[in-house]
Amino acid sequence: MNDMSGTNDINDMSELSDLEGELRAAAAVLDPVPAALRQIAVEAYALHDLDARIAELTFDSLVDAIPVRGATDVPRMLTFDTGELTVDVEVTAEGLMGQLLPPQPARIEVLDGPRAGAALTADSMGRFTTDAPPTGPFALRLRTGGEVVVTEWLRA
Amino acid sequence: MDRTDVGALVRSAVDGDAAAWKALVEGLSPLVWSVVRAHRLSDADGHEVYQTVWFRFAQHLGRIREPHKAGSWLASTARHECLKVIKSLRRLTPTDDPQLLDRVSEDRTPEQSLLDSEEAAAQSERLRHLWQEFEQLGDRCRQLLRVLMASPPPSYQEVSAALGIAVGSIGPLRQRCLRRLRARLDARGAS
Repeated sequence: MNDMSGTNDINDMSELSDLEGELRAAAAVLDPVPAALRQIAVEAYALHDLDARIAELTFDSLVDAIPVRGATDVPRMLTFDTGELTVDVEVTAEGLMGQLLPPQPARIEVLDGPRAGAALTADSMGRFTTDAPPTGPFALRLRTGGEVVVTEWLRA
Repeated sequence: MDRTDVGALVRSAVDGDAAAWKALVEGLSPLVWSVVRAHRLSDADGHEVYQTVWFRFAQHLGRIREPHKAGSWLASTARHECLKVIKSLRRLTPTDDPQLLDRVSEDRTPEQSLLDSEEAAAQSERLRHLWQEFEQLGDRCRQLLRVLMASPPPSYQEVSAALGIAVGSIGPLRQRCLRRLRARLDARGAS
């Protein structure tokens, strides 16, 4: 196979391209994007919001923390940051526990998709809790002072 | 999907054109899905990763620095989310069991309905055999080919972002994997 002439090489390449084309056809039939998922992505356009500031994920214990040997079921620790506001969130089986820094009250919405989410408030110390953990992708929309901040979408 | 189109569609979507967003979803969903499938997540995890990727893309839409590279952005985001899932599970959930073939037949696409016709049965059979042999390939080849077979075909930049492999190594690896698949099919036909 290694001493193929140039012509055979070209034939071989075109045969491999055909095979890739057949694979593409097979994937379209046997493993397509589920229609319901595609629809969710179309509806996600509603999440496009130029007025909100994004609090970027700057720490995720899943990738940034050194695992503790033998420790199981450790809570996921997340930090989101806008540069001026920091949101620390702990995800446990009981729900979310959060802290705004600098401490300040806020109205918070827990989003799980393009539609309106559950509402809660952060107290004057900037603390907030939810009574159930997110079950899929989530983001927090915070209204504090005159500003709207949304944390980066994340899968809990 | 044409790269200049992607850039223009992203800019239109930023300006409020919902049809442009829909076109982006149509054109790049198969790429995002292929990355999820290449990492062999469970259905539930895979669906969540897919959604997270699109939610985050919508959120960052007006801030994407290189709109024409939105495909790479999506592929790379999908890869990182997949790796997080794998890390949190500390194990891989295989999907190479017969269940996959059963499951995919539930959600009937127009293409599938077409295949139901009798004259297409042979072609359908051939695609299934091809898929079975593809599923038996080693992890590296299976991952690469699953992303390459997204429709429309991804660019090598996007494949690189999807799998964390150098652009320069994709071509040679692609050839080797397709040859391996062809050998499997030939062996199957001969037996």
